[in-house]
Amino acid sequence: MIRQILEALSIIAIPLIVAGFVAYAAKKKVPVYESFVAGAKGGFEIAIKIIPYLVAMLVAIGIFRASGAMELLVNALSPVARLIGMPPEALPMALLRPLSGSGSLGLMADIMKKYGPDSFIGILVSTMYGSSETTFYVLAVYFGAVNVYRTRHAVAAGLIADFVGMLGALLICKILFG
Amino acid sequence: MLNYVWIALVLIGVLAAAGSDIYDASTNRYRNGEQFELRYDSLAENSGRVSYTREYFDKFYGVSIESPDTLTYNASLVGSSLKITTDEKSPELWRTVAKTDDNSDQITAKVMSRHGREMTVLLPTTSLVKTKAVLDAVISYSEMAVKIALGLIGVMAFWLGIMKLAEDSGMIKIIARIMKPVMVRVFPDIPPDHPAIGAMIMNMAANMLGLNNAATPLGLKAMDELDKLNPHKGTATDAMVTFLAINTAGLTLIPATAIAVRAALGSKDPTVILLTSFFGAGLATIAGIIAARLLQRLKVYRIKDTTEEAQGGGETK
Repeated sequence: MIRQILEALSIIAIPLIVAGFVAYAAKKKVPVYESFVAGAKGGFEIAIKIIPYLVAMLVAIGIFRASGAMELLVNALSPVARLIGMPPEALPMALLRPLSGSGSLGLMADIMKKYGPDSFIGILVSTMYGSSETTFYVLAVYFGAVNVYRTRHAVAAGLIADFVGMLGALLICKILFG
Repeated sequence: MLNYVWIALVLIGVLAAAGSDIYDASTNRYRNGEQFELRYDSLAENSGRVSYTREYFDKFYGVSIESPDTLTYNASLVGSSLKITTDEKSPELWRTVAKTDDNSDQITAKVMSRHGREMTVLLPTTSLVKTKAVLDAVISYSEMAVKIALGLIGVMAFWLGIMKLAEDSGMIKIIARIMKPVMVRVFPDIPPDHPAIGAMIMNMAANMLGLNNAATPLGLKAMDELDKLNPHKGTATDAMVTFLAINTAGLTLIPATAIAVRAALGSKDPTVILLTSFFGAGLATIAGIIAARLLQRLKVYRIKDTTEEAQGGGETK
């Protein structure tokens, strides 16, 4: 029931927001068309601005992933994962999630194909996927859009959030399905 | 810090690739130059199937693979070369051979001798596997970055247009006012009726509803507004970092992608992760906000050339 409501909400949200904003602007006597176009002009500029940042970030991640360094890292960290009760099969997911959206999506599908979507590992990896965003992509795009390259504590804060998200996913899955 | 992450990713990547290739070469992992025996069943003039036993494969490569007892491939014989087609069920080793050979799923082997159905072939020389993969990654990920950025132009323009409307009509201020009690606590440096607040709320709302197409443009708009309050262009402000920490935690009511994949793979209850991922992402969001607020006080993360202003309580209050 909740699910249906949420899904319906996510479908009608955009048309509703757009209609509401336009209607309100019209009521306030804003020159709607002019105003929209004036704002929309910035779209191209922002998209172009983020290209160098995105290239830098994605290429570095691409090199790292293609090199097989990930497997080495997984092997090195497996004992740590076991120590906190995380199945080693789920470890690559936790490591890949902040780096690559498409990569972790593929990995999630692979793991669920192998162990079944309703197995503990299947539920765990899909929870992990849903518990975080692709941190480095977000950092590159958002900071790129405003030409910020001195990012200060953004990486640390983002990775702490990811780490806690992964632990939280593990904890709740252990409690409910473990 | 992004500097160090970047250096680490590139250097570790290149070194790991080189190390792995050197190791493969020293152990001759791909058995370059050794002849492989297989059985060729001709179906038509020059198309057929090749097969060998798992036992033979394991012995040849010194591995132990998971597969049926007999491995069969579609193959075609052209002159003295045998083209073997691999698929996703083929052993990893052979898929790598195929990919490194000509970047497809085909292995072109040279037929050395043939007695009836038994055949010995020489597989293509496979070396520098990881280095080649890194090279490919550099090119394909650069292209992907541009594709992603260009793909944003349309939705970006649309949402910037809508946001401009909302700004001109005062709608953004109304939204900001509703959420004021929360926002002043999380973003104490931003004036509560600044357009940045409205844009950030819109971005978070879009994220919550799983509207990724809308969330990114709205988030970039919010960054743009935050940057207007930034006295040191090129350096992140505290508010930006907090905002990004919230975004990277990815709190959403509907993890639509994960649910879709689960459903596609035949899960009995695809939405079972609604609660669990809300819990995980909720914790991540709280941790992100707290981490951002605590770390901004650390000396290493202070804005360097502006100690006076920071002490005056302007930026880092």
